[in-house]
Amino acid sequence: MSRKNRKQTPRTLPRPQAPKAPPPSYPSVRLNPNLVEVPVTARDDMRVPARVWADEELWKQISRDRTLHQLINVSTLPGIAGTAQAMPDAHEGYGFPVGGVAAFRARDGVISPGGVGYDINCGVRLLASEVTADELGHSRLEAIVHDLSRAIPSGMGRGSHLHFTDGDFDRVLAEGCTYLAERGLATAEDLDSIEAHGSLPAADPRAVSERAKQRGGGQLGSIGSGNHFVEVQRVETLFDLAAAEALGLRAGQVVILVHTGSRGLGHQVCTDYVRAMDAVMARHEIHLPDRELACAPFESPEGQKYFGAMCAAANFAFSNRQAITYAMREVFQRALGDHGRLHLVYDVAHNMAKLERHGDEDLVVHRKGATRAFGPSHPETPARYKGIGQPVLIPGSMGTASYALVGTDEGFNLSFGSTCHGAGRAMSRTAAKKVQSGAEVRKALEDRGIVVRCASAGELAEEAPHAYKDVDRVVDVVHHAGLARKVARLVPLGVIKG
Amino acid sequence: MAPPWHRWVDHTAEVQLQVRAGSLAGLLAEAGRALGALLLRGHAAEPSGEPKTIEVSSVDREALLVDWLNEIIFRAEVERWIAVEFEVLEASESHLKASARGALVDDPPALVKAATFHGLAVEEREGGLQAEVIFDV
Repeated sequence: MSRKNRKQTPRTLPRPQAPKAPPPSYPSVRLNPNLVEVPVTARDDMRVPARVWADEELWKQISRDRTLHQLINVSTLPGIAGTAQAMPDAHEGYGFPVGGVAAFRARDGVISPGGVGYDINCGVRLLASEVTADELGHSRLEAIVHDLSRAIPSGMGRGSHLHFTDGDFDRVLAEGCTYLAERGLATAEDLDSIEAHGSLPAADPRAVSERAKQRGGGQLGSIGSGNHFVEVQRVETLFDLAAAEALGLRAGQVVILVHTGSRGLGHQVCTDYVRAMDAVMARHEIHLPDRELACAPFESPEGQKYFGAMCAAANFAFSNRQAITYAMREVFQRALGDHGRLHLVYDVAHNMAKLERHGDEDLVVHRKGATRAFGPSHPETPARYKGIGQPVLIPGSMGTASYALVGTDEGFNLSFGSTCHGAGRAMSRTAAKKVQSGAEVRKALEDRGIVVRCASAGELAEEAPHAYKDVDRVVDVVHHAGLARKVARLVPLGVIKG
Repeated sequence: MAPPWHRWVDHTAEVQLQVRAGSLAGLLAEAGRALGALLLRGHAAEPSGEPKTIEVSSVDREALLVDWLNEIIFRAEVERWIAVEFEVLEASESHLKASARGALVDDPPALVKAATFHGLAVEEREGGLQAEVIFDV
């Protein structure tokens, strides 16, 4: 492709030419209106039951693809504790299903790069502005969204405005947002509002390959492509006034939601360690129904090395969202002066493995497309949210509603302190494009007054709202199941996509 | 021997490739061509410049296919160079050496994070080999 003809052709995915075999079926029993269980006897190699948090409609949608089959594969892994779980937004992935939660005993269980996914610490950050949508007005909104799209690089490999030496970059991996604060890119208040203060102490930059550092080196402060985005939103509905006040949210307020992760660095860390663990599983006498579940005992050298690399990639992802925040603050302050301050509500991961104490056991809790949701009394819930619960941020599909919730103490026991991570795909990218073209999706959003900045019409079509489950229904399930509590519904004003 | 071909299979969230060829060398080259097209997202591409040598070693032929595709993804992202034409110089069940020509892009490719091991299979079929591989996009 020459540089000059690059824009003359469409940016779309290939059209599938072959149907897929139907998924296998398994016996199941509904335990309550929001929970279904597949018994441990459903397949000979299961070690624990599999559970899906879903009402009847979402259960129907989840049963259409291979989500359940993949969840049952996860239930066969060594050292798995309790139950293998899928959240109401779950869908077929690779290895683990997306929306999957699995906890493994640290003393005799495994850690699996595929259980975290390629986008390590993909997550969400919510910032609250000091203005309402009415005060901002449409023309200033349009100008701000435009400036944000110029200030925040997007696309798969598009790079950062920030420049770090190799030594600086290793400090980003080792210290995450703590190092960014030292560089003036984060405040002490920011650090208090990020999961693990944006700095996982187990991070080991030496366990991150040079290839991973090459791939992610220029990407700090960028969104990336796929379903990642920055949205300017309006607080539409408040469900819990006391919790909303604690989170700093009020009706009509302009807020900004950032959804991105560790970019090429995380992708390469996962690639490196799936490959490395695939090669050593026989030595550890681990036999799996799917090679993408490649894993190693958590306490083994391979398991510890991956954990160190994963934590480093997670620190990179926290720092990535922080660097984006820095750029956004500059845009808002240029546009609104003293009223342009942005306060960090919270930043939380939804692709991560964490070492956590559950009851009498240390567990390595894998959340792949699932959000950590700790309750009001958990020690890791930030001081300002004690008695309320850790904020849980659920981005809807592009152009639909998003939610702010808080974790519950009850959910800690029900789902290892986990909840959903979004609407969850219901339709392949190709099927989505058959429903509406990118131009039609853009027009539908703009007709609703939403400002759209996205370079790729193909990506707009692939990420259209109809390609996803109903986020309101997904959130209602976790709310009624007691996994998290609804605080606010947020609706889009402007969308910036890679 | 039938000519190599590939097709795309529907997947809820990712992209699934099915590829067939008369030999392992042909299979790897065809999978590389398919990935090049995926990385270019439908853009036309004329390869330019000198060919580059790509070499990978793996534990078996399935891993070889994944490692090969991940090498192409890595070069696309880091070098902004998308390989589209391949000549296989050496191929065994665990080793591949190929010469590739590609296109330089000023805007790095969208979409592909990695080739995965999920549902991975390289199987004997009449007149050759067939493989399936899922890409995380």
